[in-house]
Amino acid sequence: MSATPEAPDLKAVVRRALAALEAPGTESAPTTSDLSIDEELALHSIGWEPVELVSGVSLVSIPVGWWNWGQGEITAAAEAHRHAFANAITRLHREAARAGGHGVVGVRIERAVHPTHVEVALVGSAVRPVGASLAGWETVGLCVGASFVFAPRRSVGAVLGQQTQNVELTNFTEAMYAARETAMTRMQDGALALGGTGVVGVTVEEGPMGFASHAVGFVAIGTVVRPGPTGHQRVAPITVVSLDDAAVSFDARTLE
Amino acid sequence: MAPSSDLPEAASRRLAEGSFSSGLSVADFAACLSMGLEPLGLVQGFCAMQWGTYGGGILAGAMAPPAVAAGGYAEVYQCPHGFVSGEHRAWGQNYEQTWIEAAWRTGFSSALSRMVEEATTLDAHGVVGVVDTETPLVEAGIAEFHLRGTAVRVEGAPAPTGSPWTTFLAGQRLAKVFEAGYAPLGAVASTSSVRVWANCVTEYALEGTGGVWSGGGQVAEVDQVVRAHGVARELARSRVRSDLHGDALHGADLYVLTREHGPGDLEIQVRLKGNRVRRVAPFSPLPVPQLTVALS
Repeated sequence: MSATPEAPDLKAVVRRALAALEAPGTESAPTTSDLSIDEELALHSIGWEPVELVSGVSLVSIPVGWWNWGQGEITAAAEAHRHAFANAITRLHREAARAGGHGVVGVRIERAVHPTHVEVALVGSAVRPVGASLAGWETVGLCVGASFVFAPRRSVGAVLGQQTQNVELTNFTEAMYAARETAMTRMQDGALALGGTGVVGVTVEEGPMGFASHAVGFVAIGTVVRPGPTGHQRVAPITVVSLDDAAVSFDARTLE
Repeated sequence: MAPSSDLPEAASRRLAEGSFSSGLSVADFAACLSMGLEPLGLVQGFCAMQWGTYGGGILAGAMAPPAVAAGGYAEVYQCPHGFVSGEHRAWGQNYEQTWIEAAWRTGFSSALSRMVEEATTLDAHGVVGVVDTETPLVEAGIAEFHLRGTAVRVEGAPAPTGSPWTTFLAGQRLAKVFEAGYAPLGAVASTSSVRVWANCVTEYALEGTGGVWSGGGQVAEVDQVVRAHGVARELARSRVRSDLHGDALHGADLYVLTREHGPGDLEIQVRLKGNRVRRVAPFSPLPVPQLTVALS
């Protein structure tokens, strides 16, 4: 098979690389990362390299009796959530600093809210600078906002009266709105506290808490950014028409 | 460890005579050919392991766990309340399940070395696209380790002198590793297993029981479990690092499984695997990425 034009000397590259393994390796400090080669190259092109796969875990208890009866926000759950994230992030930073990293990229978040506790596990690759950073914007950190709110129970009369009607359950709608506002405010306050100007890549998770019939939760997580020393650089994307065929399988309609 | 040359006679015969076989997809197969890696055969290694005392002894609370004897991690968590009742967990412990780790290590490395042995029989330079699976067999405490990959010869290279290199990568991703200035050395994996036998405070925090004993209704971090998680991850990572001998671990995969065997009885298992690669050429920096908008 002939070499493709994009990679004219790939065979030679492979032969040279494997021949170089015959020489003894340099006993430098090993590095570990969960980045793909694409990610590593892209990162390198803006002045960073991976040093160590790092993680931070926290598990914080929620005292008994908070979920099923009450009014307004379930403050203990929100507090446990905040506490768990803060501790997990601190541990992630500590591991990164110990490995000589200046930041952590590609952080994977595993998060679970149980009736009795909140669990948070963060895994990412610590990175250090190689050469000048070219970023127009800097990432500052993760910010998280969470709120859990009671949807007040309807009176027996209301339940019976509404049973045969199409009605909006305003108690749930309102609880959702309350949780959303509180959580988003907390996330944005977190960004300001880190000295950021904005939050990118925000993901939200919301809905009823499976284990508590009248509680709803809203959690927002994002990456805090601020303009770097060079300020925002205008990007002028080039428009391209991709010739990749999006269809990956046989499509009978093409025969018509 | 695998005894030397335990390859079945029939396997040697099949590998010597048959057509070539490969576990590669069409795309990966094409990419391998363009790199000058010629598939020789699908090579495999198996090992079925049983591990002994699965948490036995310790639950009675009377014996020191084997981890202590083996020099593994162990930490005691005393109850802060003093004597409460016979049902109160006055004592808790985190301990490394060294015997499970040892069984896993033996199972994985035997299967790996058996696969490499088949590749050696084929005069392969390396094994690409390694896939590893671990399947529980019959009953708890028995697992089958199965590693497979495609043995390859490097076109135009002298006959191999040492043991073939291995990598989880194949196809385009492997080509990019070469292009980035790395050479693959080995598929590496490590494990750690930490058992948490909760003391009263931990149990109350996890189970939501305990009333007055559970910290006065305050939100609090569950130190014992957090510590076990931290130690388990650190053990797995330091083991992989010691296998790297100064090289880099690329494309690491950290997998954590937490199992609850009963109230206040947790097991945290960590598997860390990835590709040991060595930098053999300086990074030729990519041009600053150019942004494009695809119109399709």
